Amino acid sequence: MSEAYLRFWGVRGSYAAPHETHLGVGGNTSCVELRAGDHLLVCDGGTGIISLGEELVQADELHEMLVVFTHYHWDHICGLPFFQPAFSPDWRIEFFGPGDTAADIERRLSDQMKAPYFPVETETWMADINYVEPHDDGMRHGPFEIRHFNVHHPGVTYGYRVRIADKTVVYVSDNEVQFLKTSIAKRIHEFEEDEHELLERMVSEQRSAELAAIENVDILIHDAQYTPHDYSKKRGWGHSCYVDTVNLAIDAGVGCLYLYHHDPTYNDDQVAAIHRDCLQIIAERKSSMECHIAREGLKVRL
Amino acid sequence: MHNAKPIIVLVDDSDAMRTLFEQVAREADFELHAYASAEASLTFLDSNRPNLLVINVMMPNKDGYSLLKQLRANPLHQDTPTVMISSKDYAQDRVAARELGVLEFVAKPISKKALRSLIAHYVDGGGAPRN
Ligand SMILES: [Zn+2]
Ligand SMILES: [Zn+2]
Repeated sequence: MSEAYLRFWGVRGSYAAPHETHLGVGGNTSCVELRAGDHLLVCDGGTGIISLGEELVQADELHEMLVVFTHYHWDHICGLPFFQPAFSPDWRIEFFGPGDTAADIERRLSDQMKAPYFPVETETWMADINYVEPHDDGMRHGPFEIRHFNVHHPGVTYGYRVRIADKTVVYVSDNEVQFLKTSIAKRIHEFEEDEHELLERMVSEQRSAELAAIENVDILIHDAQYTPHDYSKKRGWGHSCYVDTVNLAIDAGVGCLYLYHHDPTYNDDQVAAIHRDCLQIIAERKSSMECHIAREGLKVRL
Repeated sequence: MHNAKPIIVLVDDSDAMRTLFEQVAREADFELHAYASAEASLTFLDSNRPNLLVINVMMPNKDGYSLLKQLRANPLHQDTPTVMISSKDYAQDRVAARELGVLEFVAKPISKKALRSLIAHYVDGGGAPRN
Protein backbone atom coordinates (compact mmCIF):
# COMPACT_ATOMS: atom_id res chain seq x y z
CA MET A 1 0.00 0.00 0.00
CA SER A 2 1.26 3.46 -0.81
CA GLU A 3 1.12 6.41 1.52
CA ALA A 4 -1.42 6.48 4.34
CA TYR A 5 -2.20 9.70 6.15
CA LEU A 6 -4.87 11.73 7.81
CA ARG A 7 -5.47 15.40 7.17
CA PHE A 8 -7.56 17.94 9.02
CA TRP A 9 -9.78 20.08 6.76
CA GLY A 10 -12.01 21.49 9.47
CA VAL A 11 -11.36 21.58 13.22
CA ARG A 12 -13.90 24.06 14.62
CA GLY A 13 -16.95 23.10 16.58
CA SER A 14 -20.42 24.64 16.36
CA TYR A 15 -19.89 27.16 13.54
CA ALA A 16 -17.19 28.39 11.20
CA ALA A 17 -14.86 31.06 12.59
CA PRO A 18 -12.90 32.56 9.68
CA HIS A 19 -11.41 35.42 11.69
CA GLU A 20 -7.83 36.60 11.27
CA THR A 21 -7.16 35.83 14.93
CA HIS A 22 -8.34 32.20 14.51
CA LEU A 23 -6.65 31.12 11.29
CA GLY A 24 -3.53 29.63 12.88
CA VAL A 25 -5.84 26.88 14.16
CA GLY A 26 -8.34 27.19 11.33
CA GLY A 27 -11.87 28.46 10.88
CA ASN A 28 -13.68 25.60 9.12
CA THR A 29 -15.96 23.11 10.86
CA SER A 30 -15.46 19.35 11.22
CA CYS A 31 -13.90 17.36 8.41
CA VAL A 32 -11.05 14.85 8.49
CA GLU A 33 -9.61 13.03 5.49
CA LEU A 34 -8.11 9.56 5.89
CA ARG A 35 -6.21 8.37 2.88
CA ALA A 36 -4.60 5.01 2.17
CA GLY A 37 -3.23 4.83 -1.36
CA ASP A 38 -6.20 5.09 -3.69
CA HIS A 39 -8.74 4.77 -0.93
CA LEU A 40 -10.40 7.70 0.73
CA LEU A 41 -12.46 7.89 3.88
CA VAL A 42 -13.85 11.24 5.03
CA CYS A 43 -15.18 11.88 8.53
CA ASP A 44 -17.89 14.56 8.61
CA GLY A 45 -18.94 17.16 6.07
CA GLY A 46 -18.59 20.50 7.86
CA THR A 47 -17.33 23.52 5.92
CA GLY A 48 -13.90 21.85 5.78
CA ILE A 49 -15.20 19.38 3.19
CA ILE A 50 -15.64 22.18 0.63
CA SER A 51 -11.89 22.72 0.12
CA LEU A 52 -11.29 18.97 0.20
CA GLY A 53 -13.83 18.59 -2.60
CA GLU A 54 -12.17 21.30 -4.66
CA GLU A 55 -8.80 19.64 -4.27
CA LEU A 56 -10.14 16.19 -5.18
CA VAL A 57 -11.80 17.46 -8.34
CA GLN A 58 -8.71 19.39 -9.34
CA ALA A 59 -6.36 16.44 -8.71
CA ASP A 60 -8.66 14.13 -10.70
CA GLU A 61 -6.92 11.01 -9.34
CA LEU A 62 -9.56 9.27 -7.26
CA HIS A 63 -13.21 8.78 -8.11
CA GLU A 64 -14.53 6.92 -5.12
CA MET A 65 -14.93 7.65 -1.44
CA LEU A 66 -16.87 6.89 1.71
CA VAL A 67 -18.05 9.79 3.87
CA VAL A 68 -19.15 8.96 7.43
CA PHE A 69 -21.06 11.40 9.61
CA THR A 70 -20.97 11.49 13.40
CA HIS A 71 -24.43 13.13 13.41
CA TYR A 72 -26.43 15.69 11.50
CA HIS A 73 -25.86 18.90 13.43
CA TRP A 74 -25.12 21.73 11.03
CA ASP A 75 -21.43 22.03 11.78
CA HIS A 76 -21.00 18.46 10.49
CA ILE A 77 -23.08 18.57 7.30
CA CYS A 78 -23.20 22.17 6.11
CA GLY A 79 -20.28 21.79 3.68
CA LEU A 80 -22.01 18.98 1.81
CA PRO A 81 -24.22 21.18 -0.41
CA PHE A 82 -20.99 22.73 -1.76
CA PHE A 83 -19.05 19.49 -2.12
CA GLN A 84 -17.96 19.43 -5.76
CA PRO A 85 -17.49 15.66 -6.22
CA ALA A 86 -21.19 15.12 -5.47
CA PHE A 87 -22.05 17.26 -8.49
CA SER A 88 -19.67 15.42 -10.82
CA PRO A 89 -20.69 12.29 -12.77
CA ASP A 90 -17.09 10.99 -12.39
CA TRP A 91 -17.57 10.16 -8.74
CA ARG A 92 -18.99 7.29 -6.76
CA ILE A 93 -19.73 8.39 -3.18
CA GLU A 94 -21.05 6.38 -0.28
CA PHE A 95 -22.57 8.07 2.75
CA PHE A 96 -23.04 6.64 6.21
CA GLY A 97 -24.22 8.02 9.56
CA PRO A 98 -26.73 7.49 12.37
CA GLY A 99 -30.04 5.99 11.27
CA ASP A 100 -31.82 2.66 11.27
CA THR A 101 -31.82 2.33 7.50
CA ALA A 102 -30.07 3.72 4.43
CA ALA A 103 -33.28 5.67 3.73
CA ASP A 104 -33.00 7.37 7.15
CA ILE A 105 -29.46 8.48 6.33
CA GLU A 106 -30.51 9.76 2.92
CA ARG A 107 -33.43 11.73 4.35
CA ARG A 108 -31.33 13.37 7.05
CA LEU A 109 -28.57 14.41 4.65
CA SER A 110 -30.96 15.60 1.93
CA ASP A 111 -33.28 17.64 4.11
CA GLN A 112 -30.82 20.52 4.51
CA MET A 113 -30.89 21.05 0.72
CA LYS A 114 -34.67 21.29 0.50
CA ALA A 115 -36.46 24.56 -0.30
CA PRO A 116 -36.49 27.13 1.18
CA TYR A 117 -33.14 26.36 2.79
CA PHE A 118 -31.09 25.80 -0.36
CA PRO A 119 -31.46 26.59 -4.08
CA VAL A 120 -30.86 23.05 -5.41
CA GLU A 121 -31.84 19.69 -4.01
CA THR A 122 -29.84 16.46 -3.97
CA GLU A 123 -31.51 15.53 -7.27
CA THR A 124 -28.86 17.80 -8.83
CA TRP A 125 -26.07 15.57 -7.57
CA MET A 126 -24.59 13.89 -10.63
CA ALA A 127 -22.31 11.46 -8.80
CA ASP A 128 -23.26 7.85 -8.22
CA ILE A 129 -24.47 8.30 -4.62
CA ASN A 130 -25.17 5.41 -2.30
CA TYR A 131 -26.31 5.35 1.30
CA VAL A 132 -24.83 2.49 3.27
CA GLU A 133 -27.32 0.16 4.94
CA PRO A 134 -26.30 -0.02 8.64
CA HIS A 135 -25.27 -3.27 10.23
CA ASP A 136 -23.65 -4.19 13.50
CA ASP A 137 -20.50 -5.76 12.10
CA GLY A 138 -19.17 -2.44 10.90
CA MET A 139 -17.98 -1.57 7.40
CA ARG A 140 -15.04 -2.05 5.12
CA HIS A 141 -13.90 0.48 2.59
CA GLY A 142 -10.84 -0.77 0.72
CA PRO A 143 -8.22 -1.27 3.44
CA PHE A 144 -10.23 0.68 6.05
CA GLU A 145 -12.06 -1.28 8.74
CA ILE A 146 -14.65 0.98 10.32
CA ARG A 147 -16.83 0.58 13.39
CA HIS A 148 -19.16 3.09 14.94
CA PHE A 149 -20.19 3.47 18.56
CA ASN A 150 -22.61 5.71 20.47
CA VAL A 151 -21.25 8.78 22.22
CA HIS A 152 -22.70 11.26 24.71
CA HIS A 153 -24.20 14.12 22.72
CA PRO A 154 -27.75 15.30 21.95
CA GLY A 155 -29.64 12.83 19.72
CA VAL A 156 -27.94 9.73 18.33
CA THR A 157 -24.28 10.54 17.71
CA TYR A 158 -21.52 8.20 16.63
CA GLY A 159 -17.81 7.96 17.20
CA TYR A 160 -15.76 6.01 14.64
CA ARG A 161 -12.97 3.54 15.19
CA VAL A 162 -10.90 3.05 12.06
CA ARG A 163 -8.24 0.44 11.53
CA ILE A 164 -5.75 1.33 8.77
CA ALA A 165 -2.09 0.61 8.02
CA ASP A 166 -1.63 -1.26 11.34
CA LYS A 167 -2.90 1.76 13.21
CA THR A 168 -6.13 2.47 15.01
CA VAL A 169 -7.58 5.95 14.68
CA VAL A 170 -10.63 6.99 16.68
CA TYR A 171 -12.67 10.02 15.66
CA VAL A 172 -15.00 11.46 18.31
CA SER A 173 -15.87 14.99 17.28
CA ASP A 174 -18.68 15.67 19.76
CA ASN A 175 -18.84 13.97 23.14
CA GLU A 176 -19.51 15.14 26.68
CA VAL A 177 -17.44 12.83 28.87
CA GLN A 178 -18.06 12.19 32.57
CA PHE A 179 -21.61 13.55 32.35
CA LEU A 180 -23.29 10.98 34.59
CA LYS A 181 -20.57 11.42 37.20
CA THR A 182 -21.27 15.13 37.49
CA SER A 183 -25.07 14.58 37.39
CA ILE A 184 -24.70 12.27 40.37
CA ALA A 185 -22.47 14.72 42.22
CA LYS A 186 -25.00 17.51 41.69
CA ARG A 187 -27.95 15.42 42.87
CA ILE A 188 -26.35 13.30 45.58
CA HIS A 189 -28.70 14.81 48.20
CA GLU A 190 -31.62 12.90 46.61
CA PHE A 191 -30.07 9.59 47.62
CA GLU A 192 -29.98 7.52 50.80
CA GLU A 193 -26.64 6.42 52.17
CA ASP A 194 -27.28 2.78 51.14
CA GLU A 195 -27.70 3.81 47.50
CA HIS A 196 -24.20 5.26 47.19
CA GLU A 197 -22.58 1.98 46.29
CA LEU A 198 -24.93 1.54 43.30
CA LEU A 199 -24.20 5.09 42.21
CA GLU A 200 -20.47 4.42 42.32
CA ARG A 201 -21.05 1.36 40.18
CA MET A 202 -22.91 3.48 37.64
CA VAL A 203 -20.05 5.95 37.47
CA SER A 204 -17.51 3.20 36.99
CA GLU A 205 -19.65 1.50 34.34
CA GLN A 206 -19.79 4.74 32.39
CA ARG A 207 -16.06 5.27 32.78
CA SER A 208 -15.34 1.72 31.57
CA ALA A 209 -17.51 2.25 28.50
CA GLU A 210 -15.77 5.55 27.71
CA LEU A 211 -12.36 3.95 28.10
CA ALA A 212 -13.20 0.80 26.15
CA ALA A 213 -14.08 2.83 23.06
CA ILE A 214 -10.60 4.37 22.86
CA GLU A 215 -8.39 1.93 24.75
CA ASN A 216 -4.78 1.88 23.50
CA VAL A 217 -5.61 3.49 20.18
CA ASP A 218 -2.72 5.05 18.28
CA ILE A 219 -4.51 8.27 17.43
CA LEU A 220 -7.51 9.83 19.14
CA ILE A 221 -9.22 12.88 17.64
CA HIS A 222 -11.55 14.09 20.39
CA ASP A 223 -13.84 16.94 21.38
CA ALA A 224 -11.94 19.28 23.74
CA GLN A 225 -14.13 22.32 23.21
CA TYR A 226 -14.27 24.10 26.54
CA THR A 227 -12.01 25.51 29.22
CA PRO A 228 -13.07 24.53 32.78
CA HIS A 229 -14.50 28.04 33.24
CA ASP A 230 -16.65 27.86 30.11
CA TYR A 231 -17.62 24.26 30.77
CA SER A 232 -19.04 25.26 34.14
CA LYS A 233 -21.48 27.47 32.21
CA LYS A 234 -22.03 25.09 29.29
CA ARG A 235 -22.37 21.74 30.98
CA GLY A 236 -25.16 19.94 29.18
CA TRP A 237 -24.35 21.36 25.73
CA GLY A 238 -22.85 18.04 24.61
CA HIS A 239 -19.15 18.93 24.62
CA SER A 240 -16.19 18.16 26.81
CA CYS A 241 -13.89 20.24 28.92
CA TYR A 242 -10.34 19.63 27.66
CA VAL A 243 -9.19 18.62 31.16
CA ASP A 244 -11.63 15.69 31.08
CA THR A 245 -10.63 14.80 27.52
CA VAL A 246 -6.91 14.70 28.25
CA ASN A 247 -7.39 12.70 31.43
CA LEU A 248 -9.66 10.22 29.66
CA ALA A 249 -7.09 9.77 26.88
CA ILE A 250 -4.26 9.23 29.39
CA ASP A 251 -6.34 6.69 31.33
CA ALA A 252 -7.13 4.83 28.10
CA GLY A 253 -3.49 4.54 27.09
CA VAL A 254 -3.93 6.58 23.92
CA GLY A 255 -0.74 7.07 21.90
CA CYS A 256 -1.47 10.49 20.50
CA LEU A 257 -4.35 12.86 21.20
CA TYR A 258 -5.53 15.59 18.82
CA LEU A 259 -7.59 18.27 20.58
CA TYR A 260 -10.55 18.86 18.27
CA HIS A 261 -13.87 20.72 17.80
CA HIS A 262 -12.33 23.97 19.06
CA ASP A 263 -14.77 26.53 20.33
CA PRO A 264 -15.38 29.14 17.61
CA THR A 265 -14.98 31.98 20.12
CA TYR A 266 -11.40 30.93 21.02
CA ASN A 267 -8.61 32.60 19.07
CA ASP A 268 -5.22 31.05 18.33
CA ASP A 269 -3.73 32.20 21.65
CA GLN A 270 -6.59 30.72 23.64
CA VAL A 271 -6.29 27.35 21.87
CA ALA A 272 -2.52 27.46 22.43
CA ALA A 273 -3.14 28.05 26.15
CA ILE A 274 -5.44 25.00 26.25
CA HIS A 275 -2.72 22.96 24.59
CA ARG A 276 -0.07 24.13 27.08
CA ASP A 277 -2.32 23.19 29.95
CA CYS A 278 -2.92 19.73 28.43
CA LEU A 279 0.85 19.21 28.13
CA GLN A 280 1.23 20.17 31.77
CA ILE A 281 -1.46 17.68 32.84
CA ILE A 282 0.28 14.98 30.82
CA ALA A 283 3.64 15.82 32.44
CA GLU A 284 2.14 15.91 35.93
CA ARG A 285 0.60 12.51 35.36
CA LYS A 286 3.94 11.23 34.05
CA SER A 287 2.27 10.02 30.90
CA SER A 288 4.09 9.48 27.61
CA MET A 289 1.02 10.38 25.53
CA GLU A 290 1.58 12.87 22.72
CA CYS A 291 -0.91 15.70 22.46
CA HIS A 292 -1.39 18.20 19.63
CA ILE A 293 -3.83 20.82 18.50
CA ALA A 294 -5.82 19.62 15.49
CA ARG A 295 -5.04 22.42 13.03
CA GLU A 296 -6.61 22.93 9.65
CA GLY A 297 -4.23 21.65 6.96
CA LEU A 298 -2.22 19.47 9.35
CA LYS A 299 -1.26 16.19 7.72
CA VAL A 300 -0.30 13.20 9.87
CA ARG A 301 1.41 10.16 8.40
CA LEU A 302 -0.04 6.83 9.49
CA MET B 1 -55.71 -12.29 34.32
CA HIS B 2 -57.08 -10.05 37.10
CA ASN B 3 -54.81 -11.39 39.81
CA ALA B 4 -51.67 -11.56 37.67
CA LYS B 5 -48.92 -9.20 38.77
CA PRO B 6 -48.13 -6.25 36.54
CA ILE B 7 -45.08 -6.76 34.34
CA ILE B 8 -42.31 -4.22 33.99
CA VAL B 9 -39.62 -4.63 31.34
CA LEU B 10 -36.30 -2.82 31.72
CA VAL B 11 -33.83 -2.65 28.85
CA ASP B 12 -30.54 -1.17 30.06
CA ASP B 13 -26.93 -2.22 29.54
CA SER B 14 -26.09 -0.85 33.00
CA ASP B 15 -25.74 -3.70 35.46
CA ALA B 16 -26.21 -1.25 38.34
CA MET B 17 -29.53 -0.02 36.91
CA ARG B 18 -30.79 -3.58 36.57
CA THR B 19 -29.78 -4.18 40.19
CA LEU B 20 -31.66 -1.05 41.27
CA PHE B 21 -34.84 -2.25 39.53
CA GLU B 22 -34.45 -5.72 41.04
CA GLN B 23 -34.14 -4.22 44.51
CA VAL B 24 -37.31 -2.18 44.02
CA ALA B 25 -39.14 -5.15 42.45
CA ARG B 26 -38.33 -7.29 45.49
CA GLU B 27 -40.28 -5.00 47.81
CA ALA B 28 -43.11 -4.13 45.38
CA ASP B 29 -45.75 -6.18 43.67
CA PHE B 30 -44.63 -6.41 40.08
CA GLU B 31 -42.80 -8.89 37.91
CA LEU B 32 -39.54 -7.57 36.46
CA HIS B 33 -37.96 -8.68 33.20
CA ALA B 34 -34.58 -6.96 32.89
CA TYR B 35 -32.48 -7.18 29.73
CA ALA B 36 -28.95 -5.92 29.09
CA SER B 37 -29.51 -5.10 25.43
CA ALA B 38 -32.23 -4.24 22.95
CA GLU B 39 -31.49 -7.44 21.06
CA ALA B 40 -31.91 -9.59 24.20
CA SER B 41 -35.30 -8.02 25.00
CA LEU B 42 -36.87 -8.77 21.64
CA THR B 43 -37.73 -12.43 22.18
CA PHE B 44 -39.95 -11.50 25.10
CA LEU B 45 -41.26 -8.24 23.66
CA ASP B 46 -42.13 -9.76 20.29
CA SER B 47 -45.13 -11.42 21.88
CA ASN B 48 -45.63 -9.81 25.30
CA ARG B 49 -46.95 -6.39 26.19
CA PRO B 50 -45.68 -5.27 29.60
CA ASN B 51 -47.59 -2.83 31.81
CA LEU B 52 -44.57 -0.56 31.69
CA LEU B 53 -41.52 -0.55 29.47
CA VAL B 54 -38.39 1.28 30.60
CA ILE B 55 -35.71 1.77 27.97
CA ASN B 56 -32.23 3.25 28.27
CA VAL B 57 -31.18 5.50 25.38
CA MET B 58 -27.46 4.86 24.84
CA MET B 59 -26.58 1.18 24.56
CA PRO B 60 -23.67 -0.56 22.84
CA ASN B 61 -25.49 -1.88 19.77
CA LYS B 62 -29.08 -0.99 19.04
CA ASP B 63 -29.94 2.23 20.91
CA GLY B 64 -33.15 2.85 22.84
CA TYR B 65 -34.80 4.98 20.15
CA SER B 66 -34.17 2.40 17.51
CA LEU B 67 -35.62 -0.32 19.75
CA LEU B 68 -38.73 1.70 20.56
CA LYS B 69 -39.24 2.65 16.91
CA GLN B 70 -39.12 -1.04 16.03
CA LEU B 71 -41.55 -1.90 18.82
CA ARG B 72 -43.99 0.86 17.90
CA ALA B 73 -44.25 -0.70 14.42
CA ASN B 74 -45.62 -3.83 16.08
CA PRO B 75 -49.39 -3.38 16.74
CA LEU B 76 -48.88 -4.99 20.15
CA HIS B 77 -46.67 -2.06 21.25
CA GLN B 78 -48.34 0.85 19.48
CA ASP B 79 -49.24 2.31 22.86
CA THR B 80 -47.28 0.25 25.38
CA PRO B 81 -46.65 2.67 28.27
CA THR B 82 -42.98 3.55 27.98
CA VAL B 83 -40.48 5.58 29.95
CA MET B 84 -37.09 6.52 28.47
CA ILE B 85 -34.19 6.73 30.86
CA SER B 86 -30.75 8.09 30.09
CA SER B 87 -27.49 9.44 31.41
CA LYS B 88 -28.09 12.10 28.76
CA ASP B 89 -30.16 15.11 29.73
CA TYR B 90 -30.48 17.16 26.55
CA ALA B 91 -33.58 18.90 25.20
CA GLN B 92 -33.10 17.18 21.85
CA ASP B 93 -33.31 13.75 23.48
CA ARG B 94 -36.46 14.71 25.32
CA VAL B 95 -38.00 15.70 21.98
CA ALA B 96 -36.86 12.48 20.27
CA ALA B 97 -38.40 10.46 23.10
CA ARG B 98 -41.64 12.44 23.03
CA GLU B 99 -41.97 11.82 19.29
CA LEU B 100 -41.93 8.10 20.06
CA GLY B 101 -44.84 8.57 22.44
CA VAL B 102 -43.09 8.08 25.77
CA LEU B 103 -44.78 8.99 29.03
CA GLU B 104 -41.67 10.49 30.51
CA PHE B 105 -37.96 11.02 29.91
CA VAL B 106 -35.97 10.38 33.08
CA ALA B 107 -32.42 11.69 33.42
CA LYS B 108 -30.15 9.40 35.42
CA PRO B 109 -29.45 8.98 38.25
CA ILE B 110 -32.78 7.93 39.71
CA SER B 111 -33.18 7.21 43.41
CA LYS B 112 -35.10 4.24 44.78
CA LYS B 113 -37.68 6.63 46.12
CA ALA B 114 -38.15 8.32 42.74
CA LEU B 115 -38.28 4.96 40.96
CA ARG B 116 -40.95 3.68 43.37
CA SER B 117 -43.13 6.72 42.75
CA LEU B 118 -42.57 6.55 39.00
CA ILE B 119 -43.81 2.97 38.98
CA ALA B 120 -46.71 3.73 41.32
CA HIS B 121 -47.69 6.58 39.01
CA TYR B 122 -47.77 4.55 35.81
CA VAL B 123 -48.55 1.00 36.91
CA ASP B 124 -51.79 0.13 38.67
CA GLY B 125 -50.88 -1.86 41.74
CA GLY B 126 -47.20 -1.89 40.78
CA GLY B 127 -46.19 0.30 43.67
CA ALA B 128 -48.18 -1.50 46.38
CA PRO B 129 -45.89 -2.98 49.01
CA ARG B 130 -46.07 -6.68 49.58
CA ASN B 131 -47.37 -7.78 52.99
ZN1 LIG C 1 -20.21 19.53 16.39
ZN1 LIG D 1 -23.37 18.23 17.60
